[in-house]
Amino acid sequence: MPELIADVLVVGGGAAGMRAAIEARKQGAEVVLLSKVHPLRSHTITAHAGINGAPAGGAWQAHALDTVRAGDWLNDQDAVEVLCQEAPRAIIELDHMGALFNRDGQGHLDRRRLGGQSAPLACYVNDMTGHYILHVLYEQILKSAAKCCDEWFVTALLVDSGACRGVIALELLTGKLHALGARAVVLATGGGVRAYEPSTGSLGTTGDGVALAYRADVPLMDMEQVQFHPLGLGRNGGLASEATLGEGAHLFNKEGQRFAQAVAPGMAELAPRDLLVRAALAELEAGRGVDGALLLDARHLGKDRVMTRLPQTREVVKAFTGKDLAADPVPVRPIAHRLMGGIHTDLNGATPLPGLYAAGSCASTGAHGATRLGGNTLAEAVVFGRRAGTAAAAYAKTVAAPRGSDALLKDEERRIALALSKGKGGESDVRLREELGRLMMEKAGISRDAAGLQEAVRGVAALQGRYAQAGPRGPGGAFDGGLVAFLELGYTLEVAWAIAAAALARAESRGAHWRRDHPERNDAEWLRHTLVVRGAEGPRVEFRPVTVRQWRPERRAY
Amino acid sequence: MQVTFKVTRYDRATGEKPRVQSYALDLPEGATILDGMMRIREEQDPTLAFRAACLRGVCGECTMRVNKSGKLACVTRVASIAKNNEVTVEPIRYIPVIKDLVFDMEAFLWRKIKAVEPWLKPNGGASDREHVLREEELAEVRKAMSCYMCGLCDEGCTVIAVDGGFLGPAALTKAYRFVFDPRDHARVERLRHLSEPKGMWDCTHCFEANGHCPRGINPTDRIFDLRDESIRRGVKSGAANQQVARHYDSFVASVKKSGWLDEGRLAIESEGWTNVAGLLELLPTAVKALQRGKLPMPYLHRSRPGAEQIRRIIERAEGKPS
Repeated sequence: MPELIADVLVVGGGAAGMRAAIEARKQGAEVVLLSKVHPLRSHTITAHAGINGAPAGGAWQAHALDTVRAGDWLNDQDAVEVLCQEAPRAIIELDHMGALFNRDGQGHLDRRRLGGQSAPLACYVNDMTGHYILHVLYEQILKSAAKCCDEWFVTALLVDSGACRGVIALELLTGKLHALGARAVVLATGGGVRAYEPSTGSLGTTGDGVALAYRADVPLMDMEQVQFHPLGLGRNGGLASEATLGEGAHLFNKEGQRFAQAVAPGMAELAPRDLLVRAALAELEAGRGVDGALLLDARHLGKDRVMTRLPQTREVVKAFTGKDLAADPVPVRPIAHRLMGGIHTDLNGATPLPGLYAAGSCASTGAHGATRLGGNTLAEAVVFGRRAGTAAAAYAKTVAAPRGSDALLKDEERRIALALSKGKGGESDVRLREELGRLMMEKAGISRDAAGLQEAVRGVAALQGRYAQAGPRGPGGAFDGGLVAFLELGYTLEVAWAIAAAALARAESRGAHWRRDHPERNDAEWLRHTLVVRGAEGPRVEFRPVTVRQWRPERRAY
Repeated sequence: MQVTFKVTRYDRATGEKPRVQSYALDLPEGATILDGMMRIREEQDPTLAFRAACLRGVCGECTMRVNKSGKLACVTRVASIAKNNEVTVEPIRYIPVIKDLVFDMEAFLWRKIKAVEPWLKPNGGASDREHVLREEELAEVRKAMSCYMCGLCDEGCTVIAVDGGFLGPAALTKAYRFVFDPRDHARVERLRHLSEPKGMWDCTHCFEANGHCPRGINPTDRIFDLRDESIRRGVKSGAANQQVARHYDSFVASVKKSGWLDEGRLAIESEGWTNVAGLLELLPTAVKALQRGKLPMPYLHRSRPGAEQIRRIIERAEGKPS
């Protein structure tokens, strides 16, 4: 019998999860915030550059058009409207919670321009915007007295009589599995970009929530859309923040040319990330890189500006490359960064499964389309986090406490025990993860074609098969990081398979999805979303129309 | 790169004494301490427990003591710290260990952060627009709040070394973020709370926190600023910490009266004339000082030349007309 622990159980302690939890508390719900790492260690901390929202007196429509253009018109425009209309309020709310946004000369919120923005949209705190938002939201969590379960790892959703009624979770401190009942569950587990190697994902950016929903037969939308970031620093996912470009840094090739000017004359380095990344890739393939990298140059900003506006980036650049951002050109190369797609939800975070909500990077409301506008991730997290919290709390009032048996808990205990028994002598899951990352990078990366994507689909399926025969090496029990990594790989494999299947289906190029064999955008056939649904033999791709409102599709040019 | 990791192992569940285990590794150039720990767990010893998250030195999760120095493992390169192709990896000091490199951060740090009521107590402002604030008002608060909560300043703290109950530089830096936030209305209340025993007056200003902070936040200076602000606002001590207020009053009174410090009087007045137990505690020290001819005698204390000028300086600083 699952123990009822909350009206609303939020899984994930990043910005979206905490914002959802705060809102659900405000609505009077008993809330538990469950996270596999302490909330302050969430991946939100790596969102550096800013949070978008139109300035007071400015038009949210300009933000919306930038968002739709960056998304190459794959966006659902009702979701874009919600995002852009509510983001300014969400930012002011963060200011009242105590966020420390940079000010302009008059003492009002300052804004900087990030990739794809026709005018400055992004409020920011130097180059640590995500850090401050995360810490401020955590302050509010402590104030709200929501219960926190830090270092609990969800292994399955509790689905009973066609509704989600809680989760099965591993308490890392004890190594014990628990059935945790709740009237409503909000997934806010972040992205799954660690399907790629290398990627900018934190260790835990493994697509947990995406896969949990998928396994519960919730469709995943726009999974083929994977954003690469132009400013990767090589190993372990080091990244120079886009704040560098927002502050005015340039990108050069070996010949000293600002190659971005050629692809986006009006925006140069502030073009949307997909354009910048393809331009960078073309330079590298044409042999105009320096040791396989391009050069990020912030020297002309002056040491003062680098020290005050980009202090953390300078630390990270130093740690990863040994270079001084203020004094040296920094070698950078494209790196897998995030998924635009995720769990299909409506504008209130509701999934088709009653009782299950999702918000933030694990969700897909349709707001991002085929490329996320820089600065929209944090905006999405707080806007749709709040909405999901509200909706989940309201739903919780309408349903009885979960009942049911311990059957699923027993199933999960058996599944994990079986995996643990296979670990000794079986294939190493660590090797499987490395193979997966390379496969996705090579066959489902920046530049794709049908043959490669077929290999990706077959390759991931084969890895799934080998994964089923593998197991973690450890004994189980308290803080068995190998067991968690093994279970995470199971999630990442689901995510990777969905990405490859959706990418194979979309026979056009749009936004981040670049098909060499179909280089043009094709609105007649492809102005529609992919929906990946779990089938007996692997993912099945279905389609859904795009919601177009006031912004009719145009040619995308900068 | 051939390197040996000597890792301190411990499991609270068994309670056996910590032991050091050696692992020989062949790591690529540029590998970090965390890369090494991952490699050990994956290839040699799946029972090794540690934490990690962001992998780029910005989240504060993978704090460890490497070759006797507190580090963020994910951005500490093995080549830069190994000595004779060896590194030692152990828990940071003074922290209860759960398993290997997994610590009880709740006991060590989080409970102290929570103790400063770490949320803004807003002083109003129209909720439909942002606060109008100058950059200069925010810069230092922002710097204090850039703390990763990695725990390394507390690990370096010489007071926590002897008194785990001390609030410590990390929590005091968190408190600073509210006391100096122009949007917070509860400054005096917060300062009073911080002035209680185990609070900011327990800091011995050894400056170790400044040296241990990986981000240059200078927690020691934050504590000074809190104390200065406290005095400025007339908060001389917490309710259960009157000794600090007596010490402060006696210090000022003495310098104001004679131009310099009457140490004997200060010692007695800090304890309080009627505090017999406190005064008795002073006795052994007083006896030793007397034997060595170093006992400051209050009745022998004389004004120094220029005392009148010093008094005027103090009064001007106190805002009284001279």
